[in-house]
Amino acid sequence: MPRSLFDKVWDAHVVEELPGGNALVFMDLIVAHEITTPPGAITIEKEFDDRLYDPQRIVAMIDHVAPAKDSATALQGQTVRNWAKRQGIPFHDIGDNGICHVIVPERGYIGPGMTACCGDSHTCTLGAFGAFALGIGTTAQAGAMLAGCLILQRPKVMRVDVTGELQGGATAKDLALTVIATIGFRGGTGYVLEYTGSAIRALTMEQRMTLCNMAIEAGATTGMIAADATTAAYLAATPNAPAFSLDVQADPDAEYAKTVTIDGSAVRPVVSWGTNPGECSPIDGIVPLDAPAESLAYMALKPGQVMTSIAIDQAFIGSCTNARISDLRAAAEVFRGRKVTVPTIVTPGSQVVRRQAEREGLHDIFQDAGALWTHSSCGPCLGMSMGVLAPGMRCVSSSNRNFPGRMGDGGRVHLAAPVVVAASAILGRIGSPSELPALADREAVLA
Amino acid sequence: MIVEGSVLPVRHANIDTDQIIPARYLTRIDTAGMGEHLFEGMPDGATLLAEHPGASIVVARENFGCGSSREHAAWALLGRGFRAVIAPSFARIFEENAYTNALVPIVVAPDVAEALMSAQHIVIDVAAETLRADGGEAVAFKLDPLRKQFVLGGGFLQFLNAKIPAIRSWEAAR
Repeated sequence: MPRSLFDKVWDAHVVEELPGGNALVFMDLIVAHEITTPPGAITIEKEFDDRLYDPQRIVAMIDHVAPAKDSATALQGQTVRNWAKRQGIPFHDIGDNGICHVIVPERGYIGPGMTACCGDSHTCTLGAFGAFALGIGTTAQAGAMLAGCLILQRPKVMRVDVTGELQGGATAKDLALTVIATIGFRGGTGYVLEYTGSAIRALTMEQRMTLCNMAIEAGATTGMIAADATTAAYLAATPNAPAFSLDVQADPDAEYAKTVTIDGSAVRPVVSWGTNPGECSPIDGIVPLDAPAESLAYMALKPGQVMTSIAIDQAFIGSCTNARISDLRAAAEVFRGRKVTVPTIVTPGSQVVRRQAEREGLHDIFQDAGALWTHSSCGPCLGMSMGVLAPGMRCVSSSNRNFPGRMGDGGRVHLAAPVVVAASAILGRIGSPSELPALADREAVLA
Repeated sequence: MIVEGSVLPVRHANIDTDQIIPARYLTRIDTAGMGEHLFEGMPDGATLLAEHPGASIVVARENFGCGSSREHAAWALLGRGFRAVIAPSFARIFEENAYTNALVPIVVAPDVAEALMSAQHIVIDVAAETLRADGGEAVAFKLDPLRKQFVLGGGFLQFLNAKIPAIRSWEAAR
């Protein structure tokens, strides 16, 4: 029977079928960060003699809050640090830190056909490599650390075929938001999204990661893209340069529980106006006339409001969605020679990304524009450690969630691509790079 | 196993785990103390909890528990005395976390959930997979047969621990 990419990866990792459609699924890689790992590691220490299935299948790092912001987060970091040391687990401490979904690919810990999990919902990012990678809770992660396996219900597979090619300023972020708007904010629940088509093939690995990162925002178990020459070239350049094969591909006649086709050439730059990532409009459009009143009340917007009329109080470029080097380069092109008019924070996805950006002089561009250039962490995305919003503050953000309170109690978040965030930071309202006045003396400024 | 009590009606769809417990409280290495911050991220959370003191069953709309994977959401609900959540649908990770922690996740039809929001007292027979509101007709629901064991008797990690020899053989033969 012809099989999908997901089917092949899943089938190759099922250790045992369990009652009720569940299976014991082997995990090739377990990613462990300081926020969700400690309770599970401590339980294993107390109840199972600190015994792990295979420490070499785990990679750990300081991720969300780096460095610690208080004694509590210091204890989280220290707990993971000590645990990794005594278990011989590769550990990326502050200085070498980063968001796990940025570190794991850039170091080459993930590869095609692998399975991976982490106590972090955006683990679906790793599906960009043709892996089956998913977010789970702390106890499930502990189970994988203890026994090497997760207990999972086999998801259905939805093929998301993106034809044509992105154009006219549309980015992978716009495609990610368009996919969610197309299948619905919870339309992916119970499914793995398997992205196929010419527009997907044309994406770089970093763009594929942006797309897969937001599969969870449609409720999907994960997103997956079959590996190809682009994947191989990316992995070959990583420090770990893992051995891998490109053989795991969907059969041409594979059947899918559902197929959705999106014309990639018609994808336009979009910005969210509501309180979930499915609530988006084209940047040159309006807040829909039939937008839910509850979303608009929270966001203090009116139906029919022109998107580019929405004034902002803060801008943020960062997060596991859009803080890789290509995102920073794209944003820097917009900032170059211009000034921000609202508080703007630029947070690289890892210290490796930060150092690369500085080698290229991007940090000077951000800081010349008046933006705050920070070290790597999750930053303002989840309102946990820095750049938190006050009630009523409105932030345009390259992150992935605009839920009520996500970036701070009462804060309002508009999701967009890094170039749109940069343009908005300069305009002081939601706006696109094409609206920015040309810099007559731009070359002089650069010289 | 009987779970019974009064209802906290959450009349919103898509309540994500940031609303159940905001990220600023994810700074502990244990699961204690989460209950006092339950629903702090939900705009009407404090009001709702104050209006329904002693409630032990959440009834919500579609897609409860979406977003972040934080198991803290289940710990916060349990820490505040909740023992079951009833909704037309759950996000996958929240549902898995709920089962693992014996917070019973019960899926019912949307109209049933709406009706249950006005109930005074709900009695849930977990083993029999039925519930009754205010002494009315029994409503049947379905639990995951494997995960139901973890609700009734705990032992999620023990279950996996017992599988290790089989997993090692599988891996060796890979």
